[in-house]
Amino acid sequence: MTASTVTPASLAPPRRGKIRRSLTSDWAARITFYVSIIVAWQLLAWQVDRMPAPWETFDFLYRELTGGSHGGVITGVFWEHFLVTLQRFSIGLGFGFVIGVILGVAIGTLGFVKSLLNDVMLVFLALPAVIWAFLTVMWFGLGWAAPVYTVILSTIPFVAVNVTQGIRAVSPDLHRMSGAFRVPRERRLRHLMLPAITGYMFTGLRFAVIIGWNAVLLAEWFGSTNGVGWRARFWYDAARYRGFLGWVLIFIAFIFLLDGFVMRPLQRRAFRWRDGRTGDGDQDAAESVIDTMAARGV
Amino acid sequence: MATLTVKDLSKTFPAVSKGGQPVRAIADISFQMSGQVFVSLVGPSGCGKSTLLNIVSGVETPTSGSVSVTQDGKPARLGYVFQDPRLLPWRTVLQNMAYVSDLDEDEARANARRYLEIVGLSDAEDMFPGQLSGGMQQRVGIARAFSVGPDLLLMDEPFSHLDAITARLLREQLQEMWNATKKTVLFVTHDVMEAVQLSNRIITLAHGGTVFDDITVDLPFPRRASDPEFAQHQARILGRFEEMEAERSTATSSG
Repeated sequence: MTASTVTPASLAPPRRGKIRRSLTSDWAARITFYVSIIVAWQLLAWQVDRMPAPWETFDFLYRELTGGSHGGVITGVFWEHFLVTLQRFSIGLGFGFVIGVILGVAIGTLGFVKSLLNDVMLVFLALPAVIWAFLTVMWFGLGWAAPVYTVILSTIPFVAVNVTQGIRAVSPDLHRMSGAFRVPRERRLRHLMLPAITGYMFTGLRFAVIIGWNAVLLAEWFGSTNGVGWRARFWYDAARYRGFLGWVLIFIAFIFLLDGFVMRPLQRRAFRWRDGRTGDGDQDAAESVIDTMAARGV
Repeated sequence: MATLTVKDLSKTFPAVSKGGQPVRAIADISFQMSGQVFVSLVGPSGCGKSTLLNIVSGVETPTSGSVSVTQDGKPARLGYVFQDPRLLPWRTVLQNMAYVSDLDEDEARANARRYLEIVGLSDAEDMFPGQLSGGMQQRVGIARAFSVGPDLLLMDEPFSHLDAITARLLREQLQEMWNATKKTVLFVTHDVMEAVQLSNRIITLAHGGTVFDDITVDLPFPRRASDPEFAQHQARILGRFEEMEAERSTATSSG
């Protein structure tokens, strides 16, 4: 063999095996993460008496979801409670979003409303949902009103603040351009203002979904006789920690599924025009949700 | 025929902070332009070129003096090309063109397509601005300004944010478009070479916003920077700027 036929190592195709490549993929990283969580959970369960093991919890979830027996007369009732909570959550979110958008537009466009409500919004934003849960239970007693109002009151400021930001973020250069070309007011509203706030409305809605879900569970925990929050408390009070932990998993799964399969695709659609850019708009929005929640200490 | 008349125009911006000095952007500028001319306003940064253009377009109001743009006695339709493209990021190229149009929807589309073809962007009509390069975006901006059928076309340093090669291509394209349409154009730039390449007439502004030279450039198009006459014009204008700078520095040092 002559030296001239030697291929420099850097030009040769990478020899990393299939297995190694699949082990370092995103997909593998995610699996590794979940497996480590379950292993850590199992280790913790061995150490701490009251901590239910993963299999016990999953067994509980299976019974709860399928209406199986938990021993004695108690049987699984997942759907009954889940659907009640889903209704409260949807009604609260719907009202919270609409009121939030109206307030946001008013604060963003009318000077006197801004001076009137700016500080109020800040106070609302800083109030944790648990305060609203306590207050509404005091006002309305046990039942439907407390969870629904808690969701409305805790979601409004997130939607409003985002919509206001959207209105303020409309580029003055684009306003000036529209002015120079004498674009009629109605067309400016439709093609300049509305699309400019759409993205912010979605970000607001995503905040509202997460905060609202949080709120409905809290309100049900303290002030309801049914619903997901109430059921979690039922198991907690009964000192059946596998039940409590099982419901915590349900809360988390719901918010993950809703965010991943409904909110993100919707937001991606609203931000379609950003597709060609370098920045990933969806990622930005998700990060800003996390940042804001961290700042609030949620 | 479009006529732009600028008469004794001054603009002073109020002081930014308390106790600060008000800023005089332009002082007593008068000139007139009319018909199939390409006029460049040249001057150093901060001499009030953009302010003058903003007043002509009606975005800003003058402190004193007057501006009138007429088309055979009636108010004229204006087209505007900005330093940056200023496109609606959430609308496609075609929708951006239709946004500024006076025509009804179908006609506006057809008209927009005609101008996109001229700037070579027919394939990009359904793309969003964020998917285009800076040069392509600016071409959409130019197509947009021409598409409204302006009596007077105002251009504010439209190539200053582009790389040299792209800017050169776009200058050639603009020159061809002007030759084909013979619009009345007022073009603002700080680049003397660009002004000599494109214009029939060059008005130079000094610091403090006054006109200090007004020359006619009578060379055939297309113009080449390597052409001796081109170089002469360029040298003459740059020479005058140097004189002016020299006077200014003596004035400041003695005053």
